[in-house]
Amino acid sequence: MESRPAEPRQSAHRPAMTAGPALSASGEPLLRLDNISKEFPGVRALSNVHFDLRRGEVHAVCGENGAGKSTLMKIISGVYQPSAGTIIYKGAERHFSSTRDSEAAGIAIIHQELNLVPHLSVAENIYLAREPRLGFMGRGFLVDRKKLRADAKRCLDRLGVDIDPGRPVRGLSVAQCQMVEIAKSLSLDAEVLIMDEPTSSLTEQETRLLFKVIRDLKASGVGIVYISHRLDEMAEIVDRVTVLRDGRYISTDDFADTTVDAIVSKMVGRSLDEKFPDRTSTPSDEIVLSAEGLSRAGTFRDVSFTLRRGEILGFAGLMGAGRTEVARAIFGADPLDAGTVTLHGRTLSITSPRDAIAAGIAYLSEDRKAQGLAIKMPVDANMTLANMEDVSNRFGLIDFAKQAKAANDYVNLLNIRTPSIKQPVRLLSGGNQQKIIIGKWLFRKSKVLFFDEPTRGIDVGAKLSIYRIMDALAAEGIGVVLISSELPEILGMTDRVAVFHQGRITGVLETKKTTQEEIMRYASGYARSAG
Amino acid sequence: MAEITEVSKQKGVSLSDRQKDIIQKFAALGSLFVLIAVFSLTSSAFFTLNNGMTIALQVTSIALLGIGATCVIITGGIDLSVGSVLALSGVVAALAVKDFGMPVWLGMIAGILTGTICGFINGMLVTKMRLPPFIATLGMMLIARGVALQITGARAVSGLGESFGELGNGSFLRVVNIGDDGFPTVVFPGIPYPVILMVVIAIAVSLMLNRSVLGRHIYAVGSNPDAARLSGVNVTRIVSFTYVLSGTLAGLTGCVLMSRLVTAQPNEGVMYELDAIASAVIGGTSLIGGVGTISGTAIGAFVIGILRNGLNMNGVSAFTQQIIIGLVILVTVWIDQLRNRR
Repeated sequence: MESRPAEPRQSAHRPAMTAGPALSASGEPLLRLDNISKEFPGVRALSNVHFDLRRGEVHAVCGENGAGKSTLMKIISGVYQPSAGTIIYKGAERHFSSTRDSEAAGIAIIHQELNLVPHLSVAENIYLAREPRLGFMGRGFLVDRKKLRADAKRCLDRLGVDIDPGRPVRGLSVAQCQMVEIAKSLSLDAEVLIMDEPTSSLTEQETRLLFKVIRDLKASGVGIVYISHRLDEMAEIVDRVTVLRDGRYISTDDFADTTVDAIVSKMVGRSLDEKFPDRTSTPSDEIVLSAEGLSRAGTFRDVSFTLRRGEILGFAGLMGAGRTEVARAIFGADPLDAGTVTLHGRTLSITSPRDAIAAGIAYLSEDRKAQGLAIKMPVDANMTLANMEDVSNRFGLIDFAKQAKAANDYVNLLNIRTPSIKQPVRLLSGGNQQKIIIGKWLFRKSKVLFFDEPTRGIDVGAKLSIYRIMDALAAEGIGVVLISSELPEILGMTDRVAVFHQGRITGVLETKKTTQEEIMRYASGYARSAG
Repeated sequence: MAEITEVSKQKGVSLSDRQKDIIQKFAALGSLFVLIAVFSLTSSAFFTLNNGMTIALQVTSIALLGIGATCVIITGGIDLSVGSVLALSGVVAALAVKDFGMPVWLGMIAGILTGTICGFINGMLVTKMRLPPFIATLGMMLIARGVALQITGARAVSGLGESFGELGNGSFLRVVNIGDDGFPTVVFPGIPYPVILMVVIAIAVSLMLNRSVLGRHIYAVGSNPDAARLSGVNVTRIVSFTYVLSGTLAGLTGCVLMSRLVTAQPNEGVMYELDAIASAVIGGTSLIGGVGTISGTAIGAFVIGILRNGLNMNGVSAFTQQIIIGLVILVTVWIDQLRNRR
């Protein structure tokens, strides 16, 4: 490791606001990438991309899925080696051949899918494969458990989070796991920290805490590369933003000098006036689905709501407030202890997803890959999986012509971008995967669809088309429930919103007459109206 | 754009999965042909119709068990009990004929049903009691073997009569000429019944996997059990079915084997489960689940069968044979891994 001595820490403060070119007034940036290209056989994933990171700044990288963000991050962290271009880190040209290499140099990455070992404790995770040891010069075989705990505690304290280092990771929330990952990178003395979609599964409150930690890290001189689809949050922490599109470098701007709309139009290459489509459906008085007194021990109590024809009903609330749990129970994925569900006037008795699907209720899971798709299987097989009856004869043999027609119909209807209906779904983008799940339930002729975080991790353009589909479904008389942690989405798409707090519905609000603040008051339990 | 990048990242070349599938098949098939060519050169008795039929006959048990194993493994499970279950089934069939005076066909059905019941119990242990498949079928492996030894007093059941040997030793379209000197000459050895059984069952199960809703559900469960359940697939029933199928085929294999020997050996079929799993794995079935074909398993079974037969003819010792087959398994799965990693 022959890196030059670090520049003075004073450069940590916000450099002078200069738009455009990479070099800052404070001299050489911490990390600089010039003319980076990366080719995979047959495809150019990145061409001539520039990027630089200063000490003590948060630099966002924006782009649609497939724009090359993750390829760029993998190049910085040594997973991939660039086909052309130079990486200059702390003043010297570097070639990282592995993540171990880049980590040793002080570059840490926190992946969207967190990489923790659930059965080990927080402390053991932080120092995994770097455990302090007992014995002479710390070279013994046994782990120095006292030092391990103390060191881990120090890292966590530096973040100002209150997590017992002895706890096993499997009991922690997503937000807490993220803090553990950050603590791990601190323990590595990381000077560059790459965060990939850190807020995608955090609640508002948890996001606040994360931002506070990020500000502290900034102040201590760490350079942070921040990847997120949530442009609205960026204003709070981001100093500069670089936009990539189709593997090409588009621009780098000071965040203060640009607007979210400008960033979005650079990302998509056209101006995007609307984030949400105009609603075409209007709720009628006819009730499609009603739930009465639903309870499940330990998760939710006495939940009642109605869903009208043509309506999109929102489920808002913090994570763990019971929104997903209620939907899963209605869908038969988890058992209900008490309560009745009525669909089009008929009381249902549902004990498994099979019953719910037969009745016409569909649930689009928040975790597409783990629960929504058979990812090794092709598009057509996934599309028809919930309704094999319609593509098979009475002997249970599949009619491949019917299957192909069904798959092609929904690929066209939902505008799914796939090379063919035989493409394994794991190779498609998040937005297209989500559309396949929607297609699956439409082909099943579902009457009620629960969308659980349908736009998580999906790029801006695809989001809009999913919103349009939801609106069209509602207009056709299908009941739509939107479970979302993004309040703008709730406000933009729903007619009414049921707000959950600790397993109860604290209020059902008319979306037009409410505000983010009011929803938050209900979600945090300060306000309460309906029961 | 996103899709293309992903594709190329994972494979390096822009081949479709279907093309790769075919290449994989040809690779396995190619090595089969290489084996045949090598053995034909080293031993003159190898490439003959008679030896071909012998190999086919020897392969039937591995192939039948392998077909069951493939279905179980596609769902992400494993069945270690088939070797013991086939012994129990064969013994039950023999005892039913000898001690209870059942007609041979009824005794065989009793034997096959014994396998079905063992498979059903395996399925219940895995789905209802949620035991890991490895453990559930390990238990069944010990129990079935124990019961087979117990009810026979660990002795072979013999004196079953000629008709008991019909299934295992008879053949279809056998042509024999009685020469002028009164000696018979075999013009065509006929296709042994077990071979016909193997081919019919392989085709039937292959159709089931590729063409039927049941087969689609088997792959879906193996690919992602949660997604399958949330799509309305009855996961419990599908998983149980694969164990019942595996058990039933083990029962059938037991009857065929014992019929061939016209003696029921409670010690028959030890380690056969591993041959079955090996043939599936050589044929490209993934132990993670979701991937596998019957044609692949059939090729795998023949690779093992031809290796054994050819090495025998070349006078290679049984110990060396084990080493070679072990290496073949390691190398094929390693190649498969390389292919997937790209």
